[in-house]
Amino acid sequence: MHIDLKKEIKESGPGKTGLIILLLMIAVALLAPILAPYNPYQQSTVSLLSPSWDHWLGMNHVGQDIWSRLVYGARTSLLVGFGVGIFSTLLGTIFGVSAALIGGLYEKVVMRIVDAFIVIPMVIIIILIAAYIRPSILTLVLLLSLLSWQGGARIMRAQALSLKERGHVAAAKSFGANHFYIAWRHVVPDLGPILLVDFIYGVRRAVFMEAGLAFLGISDPTVVSWGMMMRDALNFSYLSVWQWWLVPTGVALSLTIIGLTFVGHAAEPTIEPRLRGVEIA
Amino acid sequence: MLEIKELRVNYGQEVVLNGIDLELNSGETLAIIGESGAGKTTLGLSIMRLVEGTVRGTIRLNGKNLLSLTDNEMQQIRWSKIAMVFQNANNVLNPVYTVLNQIMEPMIEHRLKSPEEAQDRAMDLLGYFGLPRERFPAYPHQLSGGEQQRVLLAMALANDPELLILDEPLSSLDAAARAQVGELLKETGKHCAKLVTTHDLDTAGKLANRMAVLYGGKIIEVGPTQDILSRPRHPYTRALTRAYPNMTTVKDLQGIKGRMTHPVSGCPFHPRCTQAIDVCRAKIPKLAWNQERHIACHRGGIITLMSTKNLTKSFGSLKAVDSVNLHIEAGETLALVGQTGSGKTTLAKTIMGLHQPAEGAVYLEDVKVDNRGKDFYKRVQMLFQNPGESLSHRLSVLEAVMEPLDIQGVGSKEERENKAIQVLGEVELPQTRDFLNKYPHHLSGGEMQRLAIARALVLEPALLIADEPTAFLDASIQAKILKLLLNLQEQRGLSMLYITHNIAAARKVSDRIAVMLDGKIIEESAASEIVTAPKQAYTQSLLSAASALHSTAYIP
Amino acid sequence: MLSKRNFITYVIAFLFILLLNFLLPRMMPGDPLIAIYGDEALITMTPELKAHLVERFALDEPLWQQLGAYFLALLQGELGYSYYYSAPVLSVIVGRLPWTLLLVGTSLLLSTALGIILGIESGWRRGSRTDRTMLAGLMSLNGFPDFFLGMLLLISFGVTWGIFPLAGALTPYSGLSGLALLLDILRHLFLPVAALTLAHLAGGYLLTRNTMITVLKEPYMLTAKAKGLSQRVLKYRHAGRNSMLPVVTQTGIWVGRVITGALFVELVFAYPGVGYLTYEALLARDYPIIQGVFLMVAISVLVANFLIDLSYPKLDPRVSYAH
Repeated sequence: MHIDLKKEIKESGPGKTGLIILLLMIAVALLAPILAPYNPYQQSTVSLLSPSWDHWLGMNHVGQDIWSRLVYGARTSLLVGFGVGIFSTLLGTIFGVSAALIGGLYEKVVMRIVDAFIVIPMVIIIILIAAYIRPSILTLVLLLSLLSWQGGARIMRAQALSLKERGHVAAAKSFGANHFYIAWRHVVPDLGPILLVDFIYGVRRAVFMEAGLAFLGISDPTVVSWGMMMRDALNFSYLSVWQWWLVPTGVALSLTIIGLTFVGHAAEPTIEPRLRGVEIA
Repeated sequence: MLEIKELRVNYGQEVVLNGIDLELNSGETLAIIGESGAGKTTLGLSIMRLVEGTVRGTIRLNGKNLLSLTDNEMQQIRWSKIAMVFQNANNVLNPVYTVLNQIMEPMIEHRLKSPEEAQDRAMDLLGYFGLPRERFPAYPHQLSGGEQQRVLLAMALANDPELLILDEPLSSLDAAARAQVGELLKETGKHCAKLVTTHDLDTAGKLANRMAVLYGGKIIEVGPTQDILSRPRHPYTRALTRAYPNMTTVKDLQGIKGRMTHPVSGCPFHPRCTQAIDVCRAKIPKLAWNQERHIACHRGGIITLMSTKNLTKSFGSLKAVDSVNLHIEAGETLALVGQTGSGKTTLAKTIMGLHQPAEGAVYLEDVKVDNRGKDFYKRVQMLFQNPGESLSHRLSVLEAVMEPLDIQGVGSKEERENKAIQVLGEVELPQTRDFLNKYPHHLSGGEMQRLAIARALVLEPALLIADEPTAFLDASIQAKILKLLLNLQEQRGLSMLYITHNIAAARKVSDRIAVMLDGKIIEESAASEIVTAPKQAYTQSLLSAASALHSTAYIP
Repeated sequence: MLSKRNFITYVIAFLFILLLNFLLPRMMPGDPLIAIYGDEALITMTPELKAHLVERFALDEPLWQQLGAYFLALLQGELGYSYYYSAPVLSVIVGRLPWTLLLVGTSLLLSTALGIILGIESGWRRGSRTDRTMLAGLMSLNGFPDFFLGMLLLISFGVTWGIFPLAGALTPYSGLSGLALLLDILRHLFLPVAALTLAHLAGGYLLTRNTMITVLKEPYMLTAKAKGLSQRVLKYRHAGRNSMLPVVTQTGIWVGRVITGALFVELVFAYPGVGYLTYEALLARDYPIIQGVFLMVAISVLVANFLIDLSYPKLDPRVSYAH
């Protein structure tokens, strides 16, 4: 059980690359005010300017500096990504582990709901809801989390079920421990690696989703989002703006997702032997 | 038809096969006997060139060296000229195709039959091996272990191969199925050659006409199966037959001392061999003909430890011992059974030199024994009938056991004492100071006899002559003493001449039994044969009179 | 481990979708009629029509009665009326459906089949340069969102090199027929399908590759090799056939993903399918259309999943049909 995740990731080629990319993106997001020379929301009358010394990536159709927007866009993607990642992994763990430990009707009901949600494509539901209520970033995080914890729950439950049978759990029960204690002290700590992998893939999914929804134009218009930038760029695709507007944005988005994919893939072998056959991503 | 020379297979640093030479002709079945880890599966796989390790040497099939073929050429040979029946484990058959389909596959892929012909033949084969018709379209997981085995057999024969390699072919079958399938196997492919690898002597007996024993990556004994099984000549082979529960042997089961270890210099078996000498540690013995058997042993197989030729001893006109010819091999127990007055004890004492023979001689390792000096007694020791009498009541336990060492002047006093204490441990007596200072009259009957055995063993003799060793003991103690003697034989390779009137006890500890009447040996043979099919009427009467728990114990 | 989703799961999912569809407009502030029919409705509806609709959908009644009315209407196949298109929602959707089916169907087929084949080949050569390159390559490809891929393809092949057309499913007013028409459709279809296929290739590839690695260690692979079968047979008939199984289980979920992916791709290429329709409806706040599409898509995904679950035992004889 003593699997050194850090070691696993460090030793894998793609893992290392992914980690570097991720750290880079996080750094960009954190250092945005320093890296961005202009206010990303500041509009001006000059529009669709090619890159120059003043504006490294030029300006968009309402005169905003693209580079600054790019840098601040990292914040949105990562914020939503990590927010949803944490929240959905948390929910998945709570429901999955409790279902395994409590069992009975509770388990049956929870798992039926989980299975039902796994079948429905998330994007469709969000689009439907977003059509009525334009979600703010916070609402978006909440919505995405509520719709994506189910996959993790299934895995957590499977793992908790097998952990439940271990000797030290039986011993704790014989001392009179209740479910919560057992979950907290005996089950969840052993779930470490799986929690992390679930989290990483959750972040990835969320980054994807946020960009996609912004691209469709149904996410929070008050924040800078890479998806929204790409949507705007699309309308001007017949011009050569795509070189400095579309591509850097798309590449930044893709790199972030690739970084997450690589790290997740490197971490997978730590749990794969025990979870043969269950798909993680 | 199949000729293997100097086959060596390594997995990295580990040597699995260390120079194998084998020959097989069509129509013959050769069994390779080996325990787990001996390399028998590797041998089968390397003929098919399916091993992962490095393979050196030559494997000739009809003159062509298989190891020099290209991958493509080998691929064509597989399953058309050589086929293999794998050991039946889970998932040896592909779970997503029907068994019928999997039998048809090699026929079609090697372009030997059309799909219709293939199907017909596949059904014939399955029917031949006794699979019920309704099972033909089944998937592997729907069949029982025995049924899967039949499928594997049918599949191997699909393309009528010239060489069939079978890895534990009967292991997943129950006893009745084994007999049946064994017969079927013997019938089919009368024209093909079969190589059977197994750890099971019964399978070898049923299927093979020749047998090769594999130990430590080398073939140590080769010959006709029945010959080897009834008269094994290599210490390992003999130990195998003694360890194998079967309906023929009557002697109790014995193991082999130690464990198989890799790597070993010299003869692979020498750490566990009880007749090993210096050269065994240094050089690997080659497979050679010793007038009876091909065997790889520096000593030519199991040696004859002691033999007598026309030994005669008379007391006046009475011939107590009349032209006795006996021999005892290293590590074996010969029981001398007869009634009181038959001359058993006289014979024992004559061998020991306590009587002078009138005629004939005693030989120790083929060397005639004229004067019995210290050397002789180092190698032959005797255990007397009444331990109470044979132990001096003046000597303590320790002194009694040390006495032979003192007489022979072996080592320093301290060394002798340590040796004595060690041997006391071997016979399962306490080694505490308290016990060492006790006197024989403080001990029970069983303890006294153990003490006598310890004393007899302290000189590390090769032959122990035990004259009615349990006559004065209770039955439960007798059982322990007999077990102890068997253990000592297993651990030290001790040979025994076990003298008794009790044939029921004799058969539990002896390999061979000699029946003595009026000074003559009237019958001598393997214990199992004497007990089940005696030739002499006297022997028969001995058996009928022997102890039995049920009245119908013996039906001659 | 197969997920033995049974029928109840699908029923729950279905009910959830219906409920969501039902509740959302009615929970919005303001006139429920606008919420259901959209802003346009306010302008074009006559007072009589409004009254009729209010009565039809029991909009002034308690919620549970509204639910009943809603169900009733659904059962009659009525998905509502779009004031934007001035046509019943059902007919609007059905009009656009064939293009989406073409796009989604082709992409799903291609990405699954290619993913499996590449996964088999990669798994067979595990650790080799080919494998590692394919793995890194496809994982990277997986990181590109389908709309970005679409845009890249559009710009390079459409705008810059002009090989493929920029928008639409066929050239309008061209009066083509027969083979020429087919070719025209294919030309328009090529880039969208390419984008969608490439974006979803990695899923099948990774799963097949992983399964392949475990399958190759199984005893029956040694048996097959001993039978002297060719590499191709070993790879596909024996290893591949066993490696495919988990992929089939997941296909149901992938259908959902590809359909949502089609939404984005249609947008990028202005491909006149249901996805583009949804986008237009979002812009115009044409709620009936959005609801209708949502219902259709959700139900198709559910049905597809269910059908795939049903067909799995045919592929894996170890699974008994115990439901």
